[in-house]
Amino acid sequence: MMGIVLFKVALAVYLASAVVYGGSLWGRRVMPARFATGLMFAALVIHTFSFISRWLADGMIPAIGLYDVLSFFAWVMAAAYLALQLRTKTRVLGAFVSPVICVIMVIASVELGGGVGASAILKGSLVTAHVMLSITGEALFAVASCAGIMYLLQDNLIRRKKEGSLIRLFPSLRDLDRINYLCLFWGFPLLTLGILAGSFWARIVWGSHWQWDSKQVWTLLAWGLYAFLLHQRLVIGWQGRKAARWSLMVFTALALLLIVGKLFFRTAHNFM
Amino acid sequence: MQLVLIGMNHKTAPLEIRERLQLSCAEVDRTLPELMRLTEIREAICLSTCNRVEVISRVTDSEQAVAGLKSFIYGQGNLDIAEMERCLYVYRDLEAVRHLFRVTSSLDSMVMGEPQILGQMKEAYRMAVDHRTTGVLLNRLSHHAFLVAKRVRTETGIAGNAVSVSYAAVELAKKIFGNLKGKSVLLIGAGEMSELAARHLLRQGVGRIHIANRTYSRAEEMAALFQGTPVAFDRFPEVLPEVDIVIASTGAPGYILTKEMVATALRRKRDRLLFLIDIAVPRDIDPAAGEIENVYLYNIDHLQDVVDANREVRKTEAMKAEEIIAEEVTAFEKWFNALAVVPTIVALRGKMEGIVRGEMERSARWLGGLDAEERLRIEWLAASIVNKILHDPITGLKEESREKDELPYVAAVQRLFKL
Repeated sequence: MMGIVLFKVALAVYLASAVVYGGSLWGRRVMPARFATGLMFAALVIHTFSFISRWLADGMIPAIGLYDVLSFFAWVMAAAYLALQLRTKTRVLGAFVSPVICVIMVIASVELGGGVGASAILKGSLVTAHVMLSITGEALFAVASCAGIMYLLQDNLIRRKKEGSLIRLFPSLRDLDRINYLCLFWGFPLLTLGILAGSFWARIVWGSHWQWDSKQVWTLLAWGLYAFLLHQRLVIGWQGRKAARWSLMVFTALALLLIVGKLFFRTAHNFM
Repeated sequence: MQLVLIGMNHKTAPLEIRERLQLSCAEVDRTLPELMRLTEIREAICLSTCNRVEVISRVTDSEQAVAGLKSFIYGQGNLDIAEMERCLYVYRDLEAVRHLFRVTSSLDSMVMGEPQILGQMKEAYRMAVDHRTTGVLLNRLSHHAFLVAKRVRTETGIAGNAVSVSYAAVELAKKIFGNLKGKSVLLIGAGEMSELAARHLLRQGVGRIHIANRTYSRAEEMAALFQGTPVAFDRFPEVLPEVDIVIASTGAPGYILTKEMVATALRRKRDRLLFLIDIAVPRDIDPAAGEIENVYLYNIDHLQDVVDANREVRKTEAMKAEEIIAEEVTAFEKWFNALAVVPTIVALRGKMEGIVRGEMERSARWLGGLDAEERLRIEWLAASIVNKILHDPITGLKEESREKDELPYVAAVQRLFKL
């Protein structure tokens, strides 16, 4: 119960930080964004306590069910964004990250507290590892696309040579590109490990690593696309606009496919 | 308040007069003790920059002090009195406070919003402190002025936007590359404009500068100046892949940097961002080069647009800054009034009476056992003890206020009794 109360408080503070970030864009000032970053940090701390209290209450890491998974997704986004703030000064990027966090938290709150009573086969560290690693990877890709959106906007502003105050407010292209890269660089191996953990577990429970399940196909597609993106970056030397555009396209396509998949396909992977 | 500020700036005095005055006023080691020798002056700070000379002081008699200060300044400049008179301005009390706040916040500067003046004011204050020429009032006033400058800086965009072409270019470069440390620059054409831009870039930590000029000796000359590398003019395309920023400013009649050259260079460049700045008229860089992905091309008109827009922004921001300053002048006045003696005495008495009342209430239980007359006697006893204790401090405060010189007692009493 405590976990849910804390979750709601965290959601409220995330919302507040998103509003203040919006104010920063509106007023063309960095100052509110600094304050909003502080708010987001506070929200993250509360959110963390919400996790811990849920963990203690259930005796297992809360990683099963829509609520827990989405909540964890939002948590990783916030944590990753704030951690990146230590290395780059891209405060206003929060204006793009925080609304996404809020939306995810709101969707999560629809099934507030539900999902933990899932079947016994879902208990075990392999499942937890599978969910946590994959979600962390995907959340990092989400942050990468936020940086991508902002990169494209800033690129456009500089190219059009107008709106000096917005150019000034937005982070530098180099920093945004680096965030996009770092998220990709760390997200990809995590997703890979997550998929491996999942397939080992599938082998144990279902008897084979691979079932051609719609969700599995989606995951493989995501993995393939991000592998391609990372390859283009590291080997071909993609940078800047192209890399930003692609990471945004890939993420959007995958998000749409996920929704379509949920609506039109039955899946054995129906745990969330 | 007995505050007098006397001075001249770039608006009131021509350069020749400022020059002469500044030369002598810059020797603060000599001027500050000399100033303090004037009988009416109690505290003084002397600010001297290339655009202004200001002396701010706390005085005992305003009229005499102004006369004394003026003749002091005439002596420094060794100039015609009538001429000097026209250049000088005098502010008193709150007007002086306001002027000082405006100066420190860079509202009175030649380039509004420039950051140097705050540093210069801090230095002037430090010198005054070293010479022990500041007291309660000027200490407080100076710190308040620094605070106001900080507020203006953070709450308005007055210092936010570049107002010179070369600085606008640097700002843009920072928005592309983030940090300019270790970036390298190619100057094509070694004119005055590119030299200025190069200076700005070097101050931002740019690593290497290549200089290509049609007259090779000039390139060598400038390379020596910036510890850069001279490049033969027709071979500058060869260094293109190594550089991040190109500043073109030659007198060539046509494009000397074509789209093809840029595209070729970019293919060999590990770090695929390129910022091209074309400050030449007629233009040096083919505008089509700006269409290439990850290449950003700005010409002189684009930069001038940025600068013009920024100037407009500064003007509106200056209005906000004036509001902040008006607010802060009121705050300072409040502090000053609170510093005055009478409110301090009233507050001190009030606090003591409050304590007596509180203690009487606390002891109400056993006081209840007494009859009315006995209770009155006890109240009278308590009140007279308080009066006896307060008698000497209050006399001291009053004496201090009559002399109207330093007011350390007031400040001390306020702090000791937490008034």
